[in-house]
Amino acid sequence: METACGSLLYELQIIWDEVGESDAERDRMLLELERECLEVYRRKVDQANRCRAQIRQAIAESEAELAAICSAIGERPVHIRQSDQNPGSLKDELRSILPQIEEMRKRKCDRKNQFVEVLEHIQKLKSELSNSSGYISTTLVVDEADLSLRKLEELQRELQARQNEKSERLKQLAAAIQRLKEIKIQRMQRLQDLAMSLLQLWNLMDTPPEEQHVFQKVTCNVAASENEIMEPYMLSADIINWVETEVSRLEELKTSKMKELVLKKKSELEDICRKTHLIPETDISLNIAIEAIESGAVDATYVLEQIELQIAKVKEEAFSRKDILDKVEKWMVACEEESWLEEYNRDENRYNAGRGAHLTLKRAEKARALVNKLPALVDALASKTSSWENERGIEFTYDGVRLLSMLEEYNILQKEKEQERKRQRDQKKLQGQLLAEQEALYGSKPSPMKNQSANKGPRLSCSGKSNRRLSLGGATLQTPKPDILYSTRATPNTQHAKKNDRLSHEPTRDDGFQALSSGRRGLDIAGLPLKPHSFNPPNAHEIESPMMRKPFSPISSTDSSKSNATNIMEDLNRKHNEMLQKTLTSNNTPFATPSKTISTPDEENRTPKTMAIPVPSTPSTVSVPMLTAITPASRVLESMKDEEIEYSFEERRAGFVLPKEHRNTVIQI
Amino acid sequence: MHFTQEYSFEFKSRIAAKIMTAAPQSTGRELTSPPTDGISNIRFSNHSDNLLVSSWDKSVRLYDASANALRGEFMHGGAVLDCCFHDDSSGFTACADHTVRRLVFNQGREDILGRHDAPVRCIEYSYATGQVITGSWDKTLKCWDPRGASGQERSLIGTYTQPERVYSLSLVGNRLVVATAGRHVNVYDLRNMNQPEQRRESSLKYQTRCVRCYPNGTGYALSSVEGRVAMEFFDLSEAGQSKKYAFKCHRKSEAGRDIVYPVNSIAFHPIYGTFATGGCDGYVNVWDGNNKKRLYQYPKYPTSIAALSFSRDGRLLAVASSYTYEEGDKPHEPDAIFVRSVNEVEVKPKPKVLPNPAT
Repeated sequence: METACGSLLYELQIIWDEVGESDAERDRMLLELERECLEVYRRKVDQANRCRAQIRQAIAESEAELAAICSAIGERPVHIRQSDQNPGSLKDELRSILPQIEEMRKRKCDRKNQFVEVLEHIQKLKSELSNSSGYISTTLVVDEADLSLRKLEELQRELQARQNEKSERLKQLAAAIQRLKEIKIQRMQRLQDLAMSLLQLWNLMDTPPEEQHVFQKVTCNVAASENEIMEPYMLSADIINWVETEVSRLEELKTSKMKELVLKKKSELEDICRKTHLIPETDISLNIAIEAIESGAVDATYVLEQIELQIAKVKEEAFSRKDILDKVEKWMVACEEESWLEEYNRDENRYNAGRGAHLTLKRAEKARALVNKLPALVDALASKTSSWENERGIEFTYDGVRLLSMLEEYNILQKEKEQERKRQRDQKKLQGQLLAEQEALYGSKPSPMKNQSANKGPRLSCSGKSNRRLSLGGATLQTPKPDILYSTRATPNTQHAKKNDRLSHEPTRDDGFQALSSGRRGLDIAGLPLKPHSFNPPNAHEIESPMMRKPFSPISSTDSSKSNATNIMEDLNRKHNEMLQKTLTSNNTPFATPSKTISTPDEENRTPKTMAIPVPSTPSTVSVPMLTAITPASRVLESMKDEEIEYSFEERRAGFVLPKEHRNTVIQI
Repeated sequence: MHFTQEYSFEFKSRIAAKIMTAAPQSTGRELTSPPTDGISNIRFSNHSDNLLVSSWDKSVRLYDASANALRGEFMHGGAVLDCCFHDDSSGFTACADHTVRRLVFNQGREDILGRHDAPVRCIEYSYATGQVITGSWDKTLKCWDPRGASGQERSLIGTYTQPERVYSLSLVGNRLVVATAGRHVNVYDLRNMNQPEQRRESSLKYQTRCVRCYPNGTGYALSSVEGRVAMEFFDLSEAGQSKKYAFKCHRKSEAGRDIVYPVNSIAFHPIYGTFATGGCDGYVNVWDGNNKKRLYQYPKYPTSIAALSFSRDGRLLAVASSYTYEEGDKPHEPDAIFVRSVNEVEVKPKPKVLPNPAT
């Protein structure tokens, strides 16, 4: 440099010399040169000074940042500059601090990221747990002043807690869902079961569509899977209860109908049995079964099947019996005609020409033909029955009685009757002789026999209003018993019976109504012995023959007794009706002539075709025919001379007693 | 579950039958403040739903049956055995103290028409002649003019001896039917009371309880103490008499024997001519006399039916359920009056289903 400056000055001297510059100029130029040089130096020094200051500032800033980071992340700085110790130049110092700061920055950033991450988790959990989907924190604020590990741990603990909480909640939720799902399935099954029952019951009972319509939304789900039932409240307890009530209502309905059906089938069975004169074997067990249905112990269907089975069985048996039964029917008709004919033959007035006499004649003619065929009929029937029994190995019963024994009995009776007839013929002959003797002694007079048959005459001639009624009595009650009954009521005893009734109105007697019923009771008792006879025709015939011709026996001709007889007949008919009903229901008593008996109330009531049924005591809207009877023709007033005075309830209550003089007037009247 | 279609038809018809029979049944509305002793008769007014009630408790009471209110009460000197309306505001009573009275309800006035020699059993007012007719146990019938209600001399029109104590009376038009003890029945023409138009005997064997004329005036129904009612006709020709008949009712079959109850009361329906009977069995039956059918039986009442009355339009039936001393003095149900609305189906005649073959 010195060299360059000296050479440059030398060169300048040369130039100046050559140019001839003045010394002054030379001095001034040299001074300028010196000033310019100084300026350049000063500028450079300033520049260097500025640079030094910048470096120092950078170092200071870096150190401050370093310190801040360290304090934030809670760590001691790796290098702390010892201020007294001067390691070297400023640039060295800066260079050494820069990587540190770089590293710390990186660590801080990492730490911060950790915080953010944890905080984010917490935030998320918080929002989840707080159950408010609307709340989303958009900005995450990390406190950069405290990024210490302690703080991080704290946050992580919090996060852990939140996570635990969340998982707990999730578990609860899952359990709840599971529980609800189970309930749903249960209810769905219940509902579907009910819907099934409903559909079955509807189908069974032809429930009208409008009634079904209400439950349509229930029954449409009958085959739906769990996910398909979407309608709200479809599985609610209310709906299920509602459907349940309907099902139980229909069930009840069904049970009652089933019961009715069973009863109907039962009556059908009984009907068949009655028609074929079989005794239903299982009457009692059926009744028990019906009771069991009522109590719900047995399914009606089962009982129904049983009954149907029985019906089938009985029908089959009935078919095999039909042939014989037809014959039995014929036999019975013939027997009836036979007994009618017997009675007819006894009637000595039978050829008196009256209204309808030709019909009776015709009937007798037919009956004779029929009776002639009877022995053959009985024989055929017996042989047919025996072969039936042999074939099947069981007895042929008719209303519980073995048919063969019935036939046998009939044959025996027939023989007895024959003997009786013979005996009677002899007696008649004897009587004729006696009469002849008496006539020889006292002159002619009508025989009691004739008188009696005169009374009987119209009864048998089967014509005229009153006769119809009376002949009916004869037809119904072919036994002599009723005749005895008539005689007790119709002849002298009437007075006594009347008196009994009258007595009942006496104030001293406890009550009229009691007495009345006891009066009726008397009649009923009198009617009782009838029953066994009327059940069994052969027996009846047996008694009939000797007793029938008793003098004074049947209807006497006085008006008063006629009315009595009418009333008694009513009673007897009622009795018959009762008996008939009994037979219809129990079907265990052999009843020889059911068809005949049924027809009697009609005639009695003069309203043919309307079956007179005893008025049921239960209230009902169904109109029933009255139990009517022809009122007896007004009759001659009996003298009340010896009778107690009758009083009405009111007179007895008021203590009213007829004064003596009034009683006298009674006698006058 | 095996069920075939054929059963379901059965079911339907059965259900229908069940519904028919399951109609609600009741005894009707019971009137408040009933008489305190046996009820002897009840009668609806011809002009309103007022009900006149006579009783053994010596009272005569006037009720408004539709309002169920007691409108008035009179006390007599003895048991009141019968009562009837004059017009809507006055009536007549037959009393066990032998006296016949006229009552004016709104004034509470009581006039004596006259007296019999024995308790007066029954009383009727004839709209045709404007006379009051009374029947007594003194074996007479008396006719009264209610306008001369100041003394017997002026009000008594005539006294007509009867064969026996009078038990029941009934009027239709100018015809009067008198039923007495000893089963006598006298039929009078009110225009000629000197002698009966017909003297009859009851067709029934036992004591007469009640006689009531058919509203159409062709005959009368007569009931006896022995659960029986005879339907009789005034026409004495053979054709007319062939229509008469009797029927049994108010009986109970128990243990194979009948219990027979007295038939205390008969009331004809004013519109349809069917009639109700009331018996000591506590039942009220409604009958169709022409078709010989029972139309209806009302549920059993607590005790004997003492009296029955249809209102003027036949829409109400008053039933007196009151022990009639048929079994003497004994403990019994309290006396009560029931007023029931009458359903047309209960009283409308039902023609025969089967044609009646030539008799």
